[in-house]
Amino acid sequence: MLLANCGKNSEIKVYRVSKAPLEESTPQQQDAMPTNTAAPRMPGAVAPTAATAVTTPPNWEPQPLSQMRQASFLVKGDKGAVADISFVNLGTAAGNALDNVNRWLDQLGQPPITEEKLGDIAQRLRTSLGDVIIVDLAGLPKDADPAQDGRIIAAMATTGNSTLFFKMRGNADLTEAQKGDFIKWVAAVCNAQTEIGLAQTAAIPPRESGLPQIKWKTPESWTEVSPSSMRYASFSASAENGDKIDISVVTFPGEGGSDPDNVNRWRGQIGLPPLDGNAVTSQIAPLRTADATFSTTDIVGAKARTIAAWTRHDGRVWFFKATGPSAAVEKEKPNFVKFIESVRF
Amino acid sequence: MLRKVIDLITSLKLTIVCLAVGMALIFAGTLAQVHLGIHEAQQRYFQSMFVWWPPEGRGFKIPIFPGGHLIGAVLLVNLIAAHAKRFRWTWRKLGIHLTHAGLIIILAGGLFTDLFAVESHMRLAGGDTKNYSEDMRRTELAVIDTSDSDLDQVTAIPDTVLRRNRTIDHWSLPFRIVVRNFYQNSRLKMLSEVGNEARPIANQGPGAMIAVEPAPRATGVDERDVPSAAVEIMPKDGGSLGTWLVSDALGAPQTFSCGGRTWMLTLRPSRYYKPYSVTLQKFTHEKYAGTEIPKNFSSRVTLIDPERSVNRDVLIYMNHPLRYRGETFYQAGFQKDDQATILQVVHNPSFIAPYVACVIVAAGLLVQFGFHLVGFSRQRRNAMT
Repeated sequence: MLLANCGKNSEIKVYRVSKAPLEESTPQQQDAMPTNTAAPRMPGAVAPTAATAVTTPPNWEPQPLSQMRQASFLVKGDKGAVADISFVNLGTAAGNALDNVNRWLDQLGQPPITEEKLGDIAQRLRTSLGDVIIVDLAGLPKDADPAQDGRIIAAMATTGNSTLFFKMRGNADLTEAQKGDFIKWVAAVCNAQTEIGLAQTAAIPPRESGLPQIKWKTPESWTEVSPSSMRYASFSASAENGDKIDISVVTFPGEGGSDPDNVNRWRGQIGLPPLDGNAVTSQIAPLRTADATFSTTDIVGAKARTIAAWTRHDGRVWFFKATGPSAAVEKEKPNFVKFIESVRF
Repeated sequence: MLRKVIDLITSLKLTIVCLAVGMALIFAGTLAQVHLGIHEAQQRYFQSMFVWWPPEGRGFKIPIFPGGHLIGAVLLVNLIAAHAKRFRWTWRKLGIHLTHAGLIIILAGGLFTDLFAVESHMRLAGGDTKNYSEDMRRTELAVIDTSDSDLDQVTAIPDTVLRRNRTIDHWSLPFRIVVRNFYQNSRLKMLSEVGNEARPIANQGPGAMIAVEPAPRATGVDERDVPSAAVEIMPKDGGSLGTWLVSDALGAPQTFSCGGRTWMLTLRPSRYYKPYSVTLQKFTHEKYAGTEIPKNFSSRVTLIDPERSVNRDVLIYMNHPLRYRGETFYQAGFQKDDQATILQVVHNPSFIAPYVACVIVAAGLLVQFGFHLVGFSRQRRNAMT
């Protein structure tokens, strides 16, 4: 009984965890996967289309492409279990989500569902291409072999001029086991679509997808450019000699990593070695604006230079960064400071 | 003497006394919630061996009433002893045996819940993924070695240790942590706002510009303490890296270097990491049409467990929790602007005990009254014939 008066939480614990998300993580890390989950291997095999530009798990065997299919894989499991994975890019006349889901249900010998029911079962995956609808349908058609059929996991993304279909159909247990990799693949293909410009008009900037709205005054000499999936906003500024400066606004929930880690990463991006924590801290200066206090740093490399300002507000970290040739950044620095001073949360 | 002790612990009078004292304790504990808040009142009255006067932290204390654990333990011993002493195996007493067994399981289950259950919360905004829950009533000083490129090594020092130990010397750290001040609840103000008379309790980092004022413990259900501490970092090979203010109100962790490695220091709600993660897909807050009266709260989450190849969507709503790996996720609350959901995460190894006990007690009562009913019917039939 004396145990009752001992605290349950009175021991010092030591454990290891994955690092907090950093500012410039790769698109694969951005797919909201857990920080301690091993992502499927994504080495950089580059191919002409988005579906093949992302690498798939090693157990996905590539299959010959048909006229319709832009990617096709076969996964084999135990006891003859197989699952067929495909990617098809159709035009806008591909039908609405409900029509397609009911078509897949019919393929599994299941009755159609209503729009309301679809709302309940559909899962949404946020990608740079916009929200992707994912459905997980089960059912075994008459006389079908359960080793080869029983479940369809499908994803559908609609852009301005096309509809992308991703489908995995096969043995129920095998598709369940492959679901995580399938969803990551869908996200990677959608993000790659944006990256290689196949669907730029359909790319939805993160600002429209539920992130807090902040305001600023953009310097007149800057041009707003379409942000990538990682960025909240993106600008470009040109020097007289044609040098380009890239200005980015990025936000993440939480603390966004430690200041020394972030500064050292930026140093690495312009070819400078890392510094220890105290040295980094000595290079960080506060910038107080009407709305917040920013930390700022100015990193000068051999050729390139990065000026950055960041602040933590309402549980998020906001990074503002300008990178470019040293002379051009020097010239643009007053505009960057004015830009930071104009930020309102 | 032994006989007297046995007579005492097997006495049914003791049972009555325990029940009466328990009722008085519940009454006093309920009233105490007004001033102490539900959590503190629970701890002082029900999760303790004695109720003390004056409360802890005054230098001395006197037990003035038995606490919940003591009453429950005495009742449990009394129930087992009394039953053992009077135990006679006959089928006619099966109902009584079952009922007593059920009561013993209820009492033991309550004690085990108090001892081993862990409650925490997981707050998720839309799209957030977390693989840990937080105990908002407990705090830990997290000292994080960030040198490794993939993994952080965290040394989590609970507030109970911070309160108790002036110097913390742990094998995982190349420095000692000397706790200069610890405030269970505090208010932080910039020195420039407070005036010249205030002095910072730290000389490193932002703490050197901040004054810390102690504050009374938070008692409201929706309030929580803001713990703060001043800790001096003293490398084991000598010297000092200064005194740092750590506080739940500071937000960002602070960074320093020691032993060739970079460290982060932060005081935060205690974390319980899990081998799986939960992603909030959608939080729904339905209201009755035309009113602000809540109708339903629900959270659609994706559960991902790489070890068990689990990746599935779950809808958590009132009375429909998610149970996974011995933990139960209840829909507990939400952020006022509906932008985030708050799930209560309960790990209770003995959660099954009340269900089992109720079934056994019900079976016992059915058997007992069944015997009486059958006997009564027989007597009546015999009388009529």
